Amino acid sequence: MIRLEQINRSFEVGDETVHALRDVTLDLATGDYISIMGPSGSGKSTLLNILGLLDQPDSGHYFLDETDTTTLNETDQAVARRDHIGFVFQSFHLIPRLNAAQNVELPLILAGIEPGERAERVAKALELMGLSDRAKHRPDQLSGGQRQRVAIARATIMQPALLLADEPTGNLDKHSGDEVIQTLEALNQQGITLVVVTHDPEIGSRASRTIRMVDGAIVGEIPRSSPGGTTP
Amino acid sequence: MKLADAFSFGIQALTGARSRTWLMLLAMAIGVASVIILTALGEGARRYVANEFSSLGSHLIIVIPGKIETTGDSPPLIGGTARDLTLDDALALERSSAIQLIAPLALGAAPISYRQLERDITVMGSTAALMPVRNLELARGKFLPEADPTRESAITVIGDKLKKELFGNKRALGEWIRIHDRRFRVIGILKPLGESLGMDIGDIAVIPVASAQSLFNTEGLFRILVQAEGRESVPRAKQAVIDIIKKRHDNEEDITVITQDALLSTFDGIFRSLTYTVAGIASISLAVAGILIMNVMLVAVSQRTAEIGLIKAIGGKREEIMRLFLIEAGLLSAAGAAIGIIIAYSSIWVMGQLYPEFPLIIPLWSLASALGISLITGLLFGILPARRAARLDPIVALAGR
Repeated sequence: MIRLEQINRSFEVGDETVHALRDVTLDLATGDYISIMGPSGSGKSTLLNILGLLDQPDSGHYFLDETDTTTLNETDQAVARRDHIGFVFQSFHLIPRLNAAQNVELPLILAGIEPGERAERVAKALELMGLSDRAKHRPDQLSGGQRQRVAIARATIMQPALLLADEPTGNLDKHSGDEVIQTLEALNQQGITLVVVTHDPEIGSRASRTIRMVDGAIVGEIPRSSPGGTTP
Repeated sequence: MKLADAFSFGIQALTGARSRTWLMLLAMAIGVASVIILTALGEGARRYVANEFSSLGSHLIIVIPGKIETTGDSPPLIGGTARDLTLDDALALERSSAIQLIAPLALGAAPISYRQLERDITVMGSTAALMPVRNLELARGKFLPEADPTRESAITVIGDKLKKELFGNKRALGEWIRIHDRRFRVIGILKPLGESLGMDIGDIAVIPVASAQSLFNTEGLFRILVQAEGRESVPRAKQAVIDIIKKRHDNEEDITVITQDALLSTFDGIFRSLTYTVAGIASISLAVAGILIMNVMLVAVSQRTAEIGLIKAIGGKREEIMRLFLIEAGLLSAAGAAIGIIIAYSSIWVMGQLYPEFPLIIPLWSLASALGISLITGLLFGILPARRAARLDPIVALAGR
């Protein structure tokens, strides 16, 4: 489903050139559950941004569903993000003036879906996250875990094939973090491809595949036979 | 993204940041209100002058000795003419069917005295027709009687201000006053009419035209005031005046004929351009409002970086983000303009209550242009912030400040 070929990405920081990604090659199958681990500055987030089409590689190819995304223009990439990719961020990124339902609704609005259908899908998504009674609450009236689940509902409302989570539990306590991870894993079991970037070895080790990154390169991969979510 | 959704998103964003929104609304409202109020004042001044002119008497034609080649200027006070305009010329005009009334006018300055009091005033020699032609009204007594205009008569009608200065509260009717070296009996007192055509009606003495001619020792008339039969016969009357005088003056057209329409349109033009000027000045405040909107929108963009990054991440296209911010700017301008219109109408209503004689009317074009300019400035100055928002790098935007 996803193939990265010889991806390179470097940034100019002052006089120095920082190689965030070096010759990264990676294959992901539909329904994969993969965690990306590594120290700060190892290129995890850059890899995630490239997977999420927020960033473009300097060289190499990124095939998403047989499409070489490096050939797409900005507008097509935005459409691809909207229709195929969901993001979950460490700091949730909910719009503070909008309530939970309105936040979840945003991608549907961008996609130009009719209000009637939108309301239906938002209600269903919130119900799935166990947040039906919080629909009219603004983010500041929700707990951290609830906020992240609203963000997950938003990320999945367009039924994307790929869900990217950048330190999804980074701002949460242990209990809320576990809930969020379980929610993500449940989605993965329904067939969504899940990529989680994390520092936390405990969370990283739950994935069916774990990729270790150091200095912009993939240095190792730990495949597991058992699918994620079922390991205790 | 549907347009209706974009609008409701914009409204949510604006109501979400109340103080910022109110600030921008206020700026736009003041700009729009000042454009409308100032144009209404200019337009009011124009109408006021037009009304003043029509109080001179309608269908008025003014005949001045001497030919002036240029038009649109105020009539010259001293006509450099070879031939005088005589009383006979004036009387000859009565033959035209297009002309209803003529009032010959001989003018001069003379000392006027009653007992020990003496004043220098304007003496107007005319006939009974002056009263209807100039829409004069009497406070007391009678006006000059219908009589042979070529005959002298020692009677006078004086302005109310002159009456007060000479007689105070005493009775003036029937009294004898001295103009220059002659004695005249006061037979009437004019009602104050205010300034008209640059002449203070309160401060004059009207005497029969033949008396004025002999008083000032001149055959020539200062003016002939002609009243046409009706508004539509003004051009015909004008032509008749030119034809008759020309025939009498050896086929030489040595007079200038001014119709009130021409005067009116001159003043109309002046005040119209004044109104445009004032409106132009006022629209500077609209531009200032536009710049304020731009600044505040730029601040809004930087405050909402994370939001913009998020919208990009979940699939918002560059042009969609641009449109969102432009819609916000447009909504602000439109709402600000609406508030401005309300302010303008209410302050003009208040001014109308305070100065009822001044005709304050908001011209439709000023309303339309104020609305248009506010929308254009709002959108124009909204483009820069909107572009900045649309071009934000989503990764940087999401990373926060």
